[in-house]
Amino acid sequence: MARIEADDLRKVFRSPDKRPGLAGSLRHLVERRYSEKVAVDGISLRVDEGEAVAYVGPNGAGKSTTIKLLTGILVPTSGEVRVNGIVPHRNRVENARGIGVVFGQRTSLWWDLAVRDSLELLRDMHGLSTAEYWANLDRLVEMLGIGDLLSSTARRLSLGQRMRADLAAALLHDPPIVYLDEPTIGLDIEVKDRLRAFLRQIVAEGTTLVLTTHDLGEIEDVCSRLVIIDHGRIVHDGGLRQVIETYARERVMHVDLAARPVSLAGIATRLAGATVIEERDGLGVAVTFDPLAHTAGDVLTAIQAELQVVDLRIKEPAIEDVVRRVYAGQLIPGPDDSPDDSPDDSPVR
Amino acid sequence: MTAAVTLPSAPPRRTPTVRQTLRAYRAMGRAAFRSLVAYQTSFLFGLLATTLAAVAMLYLWRSVLAAGRVNGFDWPAMKAYLLVAFVAGSLVSSYVDYRMAGRIQQGDVAMDLVRPVDYQRSRLAEALGFGGYELGTGLVVAAAAAALFGGVPAPAHRSLGAFAVSAVLVLPLRFGIVYISALVVFWTRNYVGVQSARIALITLFSGSLVPLSFFPGWLQGLAAALPFAGMASTPALLYIGRLTGADAWRDVGVQAAWTVGLWWLGRAMWRGASRQLTVHGG
Repeated sequence: MARIEADDLRKVFRSPDKRPGLAGSLRHLVERRYSEKVAVDGISLRVDEGEAVAYVGPNGAGKSTTIKLLTGILVPTSGEVRVNGIVPHRNRVENARGIGVVFGQRTSLWWDLAVRDSLELLRDMHGLSTAEYWANLDRLVEMLGIGDLLSSTARRLSLGQRMRADLAAALLHDPPIVYLDEPTIGLDIEVKDRLRAFLRQIVAEGTTLVLTTHDLGEIEDVCSRLVIIDHGRIVHDGGLRQVIETYARERVMHVDLAARPVSLAGIATRLAGATVIEERDGLGVAVTFDPLAHTAGDVLTAIQAELQVVDLRIKEPAIEDVVRRVYAGQLIPGPDDSPDDSPDDSPVR
Repeated sequence: MTAAVTLPSAPPRRTPTVRQTLRAYRAMGRAAFRSLVAYQTSFLFGLLATTLAAVAMLYLWRSVLAAGRVNGFDWPAMKAYLLVAFVAGSLVSSYVDYRMAGRIQQGDVAMDLVRPVDYQRSRLAEALGFGGYELGTGLVVAAAAAALFGGVPAPAHRSLGAFAVSAVLVLPLRFGIVYISALVVFWTRNYVGVQSARIALITLFSGSLVPLSFFPGWLQGLAAALPFAGMASTPALLYIGRLTGADAWRDVGVQAAWTVGLWWLGRAMWRGASRQLTVHGG
């Protein structure tokens, strides 16, 4: 069952084109000029119940704008969107009942109230019964470790405390869909770990999760699907493993040697397409290979034919490598970048 | 995935009952009241400024009217008029629009949009919550000023009913103007100018400084047609008994029509404004 359906979603922002200085401002009064910025450029997305999707891309790629279109905060310039079967920007209030939202850079807590008071306000807004409220609150307090924050005023909380309180606020009404936009920005390792464990748990319980983050550990820990966006378009959409295999297929075998080799040329000749680099001051070799061209066994055999191996490690590609390549502009959207595209067809440079 | 079963974490969305909805807005009103109490100091400084202005007006009018009745106003009636206008003017203070405009400018309005409550009704609920505090402090200041200037007459019996209705309408009417002017920020991105313009218009056309009957005829006609008279002049004239009978109910009718009209104008503007929204960053 699709919880989120977006079809060819576009958002264009129009901003006044003012020349600098007072003269520029005055001129703008007479001759209005605007420049258009396409923040989201034809995004189609379908997220099923219980899926955890990482929505990743460089700064300014359109991640937050997409989330704001899906949550009904922004009205799309064109395209269709349905969340829980509702058009969010047309039925904002009804939509808000079925979603939980955390924007890492903003708070949904009332700044001058104690956290508990904010949560009670949300209880009343969502029409929760006392029993539901206490059951959910007890669970959130335990999972997020916020018991001693409840009586603090929101503005006195540290960033990590505020974020946990904000998560409790977003999840208090047990929403079937949760959007988290950079939820771990500025948090320390311990709090991050706790949050990840928490997110894994709610996903396991059937919550649909859309997560934007720069934190790659979070993606690997929590999400099973990765959507990469750049310049407002989806450049890849697929399972996490599949993405790694498509874009970061290379493995590296690091080998420790008994003695310094005379030459590495022999290994390179045996393994077509692999690169061989000296390591550890000559006492090691790193062989980068494509597992579809050579098995790890082939690589090891080739090395052993030339050198005496003491120890070895194989480094698997991390999601980090994929995303780094996107950030560096190495993945370019194809002419047809519908998410159903076979990833092998997407050009990689 | 074809799982059509409802998972435990996906409860059916419930449409809240009227009672639950009212409970939500009441809770927001209470929260607003409490946050105003938290910022008491800054609020009371604002109140001090308006109080000083009101006291200055009282001294001014006392010397103007020392020689006798002007334009039908004697000193006791003028005192009462100015103090009723003062209390009316203390409702929906700049607090409501200051807060709203700030959230729009900084994009925090995004958080207001993912709450399961109507935006405009929520702001009204908050204005009512603030209003409780504003009315309390306004009445205390007015009572102190009345004592300082030798007391004020009780409300006129003849127009008591109309006065009661008019007094109740002051807050929602002022809210309409304040709400609409704060929404302008969606287009201007800046609130300082809009707020000054609003305050100037209200001060002049509500009759809170100078009763509208002191204006030249054409300006009186204009002021009668605008929504601002209902914010001070109408309730104050009803209090002192200058508006009675059919005239009283006509003016209260105008006040009520503007209250309803501005509410719907605000609704229409909100629809346009929310399309205008750009939220940068987080």
